[in-house]
Amino acid sequence: MNTNEAKEKLLLYRGPIDDADPQFQEALAQARHDPELGEWLRDQVDCYNAIRSKLWETELPGDLAQKIIRQRPIPFRRDWTQILKLAAAIIISVGLTAVAMNWWQHAWQLNAPEREVTIKGEVLDMTCYIAYNMSGPEHAADARECIRKGLPVGIKSEDGKVYLLTGQPKHSVNEELADYAAQIVTIKGKETARDGFAQVQVEEIRKF
Amino acid sequence: MSIDPNFEELVKLYYRDLYRFGFSLTGNDADACDLTQQTFYIWANKGHQLKNTGSVKGWLFTTLHREFLKVCRRGKRFAHEPIDEGDPNLPHVAADCMNRIDAKTLLAVLGKIDEDYRAPLVLYYLEDLSYKEIAEMLAIPLGTVQSRIARAKIHLLRRLTEIGAPVAIK
Repeated sequence: MNTNEAKEKLLLYRGPIDDADPQFQEALAQARHDPELGEWLRDQVDCYNAIRSKLWETELPGDLAQKIIRQRPIPFRRDWTQILKLAAAIIISVGLTAVAMNWWQHAWQLNAPEREVTIKGEVLDMTCYIAYNMSGPEHAADARECIRKGLPVGIKSEDGKVYLLTGQPKHSVNEELADYAAQIVTIKGKETARDGFAQVQVEEIRKF
Repeated sequence: MSIDPNFEELVKLYYRDLYRFGFSLTGNDADACDLTQQTFYIWANKGHQLKNTGSVKGWLFTTLHREFLKVCRRGKRFAHEPIDEGDPNLPHVAADCMNRIDAKTLLAVLGKIDEDYRAPLVLYYLEDLSYKEIAEMLAIPLGTVQSRIARAKIHLLRRLTEIGAPVAIK
């Protein structure tokens, strides 16, 4: 290693802190035997210490530590157990809300307020229809008989929904509807619901 | 707000070193304070992720350096001079020459050095760290750290010569 190569190596040498670093060993040994290189090295180290001292002269702002401590943010620790608990609570809350809303909607439908409707469909003898699924022209005579006797009368709309037909208070519509048993008619009236069962209070009957 | 005793102790333990590092990198008090505060702010939010508690100081220095680079890239606030690539002459420094240079001049010259070279050079002067530790702190290879320090050191001494300090080039 010539002097210049040794200087290149020793340019990074800072003194005792680098004494154990093997990369400097050979060049340091050479500096011990080469007075010129030795002097150059001493100047390098002195220069290093002088610059280091200058940088360490920096005055610190007196209140910096307190300022940092005061302005410390409140951290949000990512505790996954807590996050999972929170997620579960949210899912349960959303689920309960959905169930409650569904129930409320259903209940609203069960006891729906009165509304004017016009329904087109087949007049049914409700007893035979519900108990024995009997309807249509082949059952017309029996249906007429049952309705006339005062058994519940209904209508099955074109969309398949069945309504109980009732008259005004203290007035039966059975006599009027008996003639239309198993026939397609249009009923105009007020629809209400109770406990999920729909009924129409008949105001007008029109033969289709 | 309750104070976390660990956080307070940590601040008191390292804020000086971090401030000096920030000050040497930026050359001014306000930026050094901002960088130091930002570093502890990040620690307060993310420090718990650090598994090895023995490397807290390294983590803090790494974080401050990253924040410094972010500021540099965002605003290009710290203008720098290119490092001389080709001049192989090593500076010969008179033994007492640096004692005649004030810290302000030194910081001004340091502040003109490219930030990629400045950080390893500052750590080289300020902290009693091995080159391996400096490399880990700055997340760059060991060889790169040493070559950057060497070139930045030559540049620094040469600039000090140019502005009138009695530094001779041999």
